[in-house]
Amino acid sequence: MPQHTWRSLRSIFSLFFPAGRKSRKTKVFFAIACLPVLMALIIKMNQSFFGGRTIEGMAVFTNIIMAFYLQFLILVLALFYGSSVCLEEIEGKTLTYLTTRPISKSGIVLGKYAAYVIIVIPMVLAGVVFSFFILNFEDLADFSIWAVLAKDLGVLALGLMCYTAFFTFLGTFFKRSILFGLVFAFGWENAVQYFPGSTQRFTIVHYLKSLLPGGTVTTSGRFSFLLFKLDPSPPLTAIVTLLIVTAVFLGLACLLFSQKEYLFEE
Amino acid sequence: MPIAEKGYAHWQGKFIDRKFAWWPITRLAVRQAFKKKGFKFVFFGSLIPAFFYLAGIYISERLEDFKFMMKGTNRFLEVNPAYFRTYFTGDFLLFMIVIIMVIGGAGLIADDLKYNALQLYFARPLHKKDYFLGKVFTVFFFLMFLTLVPGLIFIIMKLVFAGNFKFLATYPWLPVSVILFSLALALFFSFYTLLVSSLSKNRRYVSILLILIYIFSDVFFGIFYGIFHNPYFALISIKGNLQQVGAALFKVKAPYDVPWLYSFLILLAICILSGFILKKKARGVEVIK
Amino acid sequence: MTAVIETKSLSKWYGNILGLSDVTLEIEAGITGLLGPNGAGKSTFMKLLTGQMKPSIGQVIVQGQKIRNNYDLYARIGFCPEQDAFYEEMTGWEFLTSLLKLFPFSHAQVEARAEKTLNIVELWNDKDRLIRAYSRGMRQRLKFAQAIAHDPDIIILDEPLNGLDPLGKRKVIRLIKDYKSEGKTIIVSSHVLPEIEALTRTIILIHQGKILAQGDIHYIRDLIDAHPHIIAIKCNDPRALAGRLVGEPSVFNIQFGPAADTVLFETKNRDRFFSLLPRLIVENRLDVEEITSPDDNLQAVFDYLVGK
Repeated sequence: MPQHTWRSLRSIFSLFFPAGRKSRKTKVFFAIACLPVLMALIIKMNQSFFGGRTIEGMAVFTNIIMAFYLQFLILVLALFYGSSVCLEEIEGKTLTYLTTRPISKSGIVLGKYAAYVIIVIPMVLAGVVFSFFILNFEDLADFSIWAVLAKDLGVLALGLMCYTAFFTFLGTFFKRSILFGLVFAFGWENAVQYFPGSTQRFTIVHYLKSLLPGGTVTTSGRFSFLLFKLDPSPPLTAIVTLLIVTAVFLGLACLLFSQKEYLFEE
Repeated sequence: MPIAEKGYAHWQGKFIDRKFAWWPITRLAVRQAFKKKGFKFVFFGSLIPAFFYLAGIYISERLEDFKFMMKGTNRFLEVNPAYFRTYFTGDFLLFMIVIIMVIGGAGLIADDLKYNALQLYFARPLHKKDYFLGKVFTVFFFLMFLTLVPGLIFIIMKLVFAGNFKFLATYPWLPVSVILFSLALALFFSFYTLLVSSLSKNRRYVSILLILIYIFSDVFFGIFYGIFHNPYFALISIKGNLQQVGAALFKVKAPYDVPWLYSFLILLAICILSGFILKKKARGVEVIK
Repeated sequence: MTAVIETKSLSKWYGNILGLSDVTLEIEAGITGLLGPNGAGKSTFMKLLTGQMKPSIGQVIVQGQKIRNNYDLYARIGFCPEQDAFYEEMTGWEFLTSLLKLFPFSHAQVEARAEKTLNIVELWNDKDRLIRAYSRGMRQRLKFAQAIAHDPDIIILDEPLNGLDPLGKRKVIRLIKDYKSEGKTIIVSSHVLPEIEALTRTIILIHQGKILAQGDIHYIRDLIDAHPHIIAIKCNDPRALAGRLVGEPSVFNIQFGPAADTVLFETKNRDRFFSLLPRLIVENRLDVEEITSPDDNLQAVFDYLVGK
């Protein structure tokens, strides 16, 4: 990365990371990201205090909590923050302040992307970790489940990076990127992943699911939703593919943002 | 000599009572929605199920001719109140309504807040209620087109294809149910959209919240129902509540074993909350005398 | 004197719409006023000068270098945009320091510059308030502050006096003149002639994307004075007023409006006309309802200059 771009990235990151962290929207999204914690609490309290049906903690965590994060929440968060990288400056008409500074346009894209990814990853992972603790409170001494947690956290982090990169690209390309993003997230990603054969390899979620430690979890077999119809790719292939997809879309976003002229709505 | 205050002030002149003071606001919002690329596609695309259901009504009157294609599907093609309830509370239609709200309704209040237009509106002889009615009727226009219009066409075409009034004689209350549920659906989504739109000046954020709340309410219901098998969790889901009320209005068996009145009250509570917050937003721009 | 900014055949299209057409000029150090009605191309021209846009044809040379993607040059330019747009959830201090941090300044330098600039624009006492809570004038001053905080050699200001009260305008005008005496190059745009007149004698007239004229403002003033002005007066006895002014040499045309209570005077000497008018109104005990100048705007001047 050219030195100038790196310096620009750092400058932009130091502007948007604190601002994004303190913003009201981040607080709202954090609350939403913690809703599964509430869910986990309700399930656990029902088991422990109200004599409810005993359900294996890891089964609930892996197939319900993780499914919720992987197939819904990270998509929505990535869509909002990814599209915000570019569109926030255009809609707010603040792009001028950045483009008249001695910073590269690629640095603006990469710096904002980095800032938002680093805001949103802990937001999601915190909810996952708390849910994990609540649901597996009795089994925390079993270190094998910690490995599952670590893998799940890694998958979610990678997923957020990849999806945010894709939606960043969408945001530089389309003004109405929310609509296209929703079609991609709840149409393409949610539907095509269940297609048999190679078709599912054209979704990001396929590679994320290929990294899930589903085979190592002892479940009752009732909750196999996440791995339903999955024809997994090898883990190394999945990681490399996700990183390449991230890099490609970020590169395209930088290129487009550098070349395109954005007109403010009057 | 009194010094006029700088900036916009609420209209203090005479209010001339006009019948449809909200109409210019609705007309403008509808026009602006249709100018957006993709809105027309999504809006008219949402009518695709209506065509399929209409085809179903036609086939139901010509079952003998289509028997070779429709083995064992007599039940599906029985046009009765359940058939209407299935159309009105189907997943696709409800989801498309939310998407239309995202594209055409997210900015209804959010954009006015962003550009400080509320002060412009209220500096004119416009009651607050006319402003909100104008916004509500924008959503009404879209939703009536997707619900009431197809619903009434289904009834009319059923009578036309049957060549008699037997259908109406069997279910005389059905047109009323169609009207009532269309109104209920439109009213709920209007207030829901305006509530979320008034929460922020950022239309993109509002769009995300609109879809997030709708989908997540259903996901949470699915999760809790899957674990606890308690139908009362349906009250968490917006879609679930709409389906309960729809079942009650079309006099069919409800999908969940929960009194439909509870669902109705929850939807009503959301509408009341919306009204309360909208009133607060309007009051926020009033110039203190 | 060497030109600080040069443009050569500069043109910009927005699709089929011409924003700027074949602009070739040189701008020297000092204050240059960019004068034109709304939609004339001033903002487009400024965006091209600051490298925010790529010209369709031509080029912009600033201090001997091409501006486009020249980050070293960006460090020497300060731009105050026309739009009233900020990161609303920041305070004034956060906004200014955040933007200063995008330059290669140390932390201490950033704080020192921010403090100095906020004192210059008289926002120091409000630095910890959210920008959302700022008045229009404060927001305009903050916008100006971000343009000057890094001590640029070239300051480009797009309608900097918008939204300011008369006192605020005087302060900004004085500031701009101070920068001129420091040897900086300042380009100020406006559609209000007296604002530009208060700042500089060197102006560029722009209209419909084309440069109409460049030079001394007195040239423009003379043209305006030669241009006959129409003044419409609505009163209870327009004929009486007309009768009193028919012999006045500076009035060369009198017309009665479609409504019976309006008379239109055409004069080449506005100042003399307005000096006579109050006495005539009092002497004839006229009830004057309205006095307007239908063509008293820059658009009318421009229409006149382009021969409409």
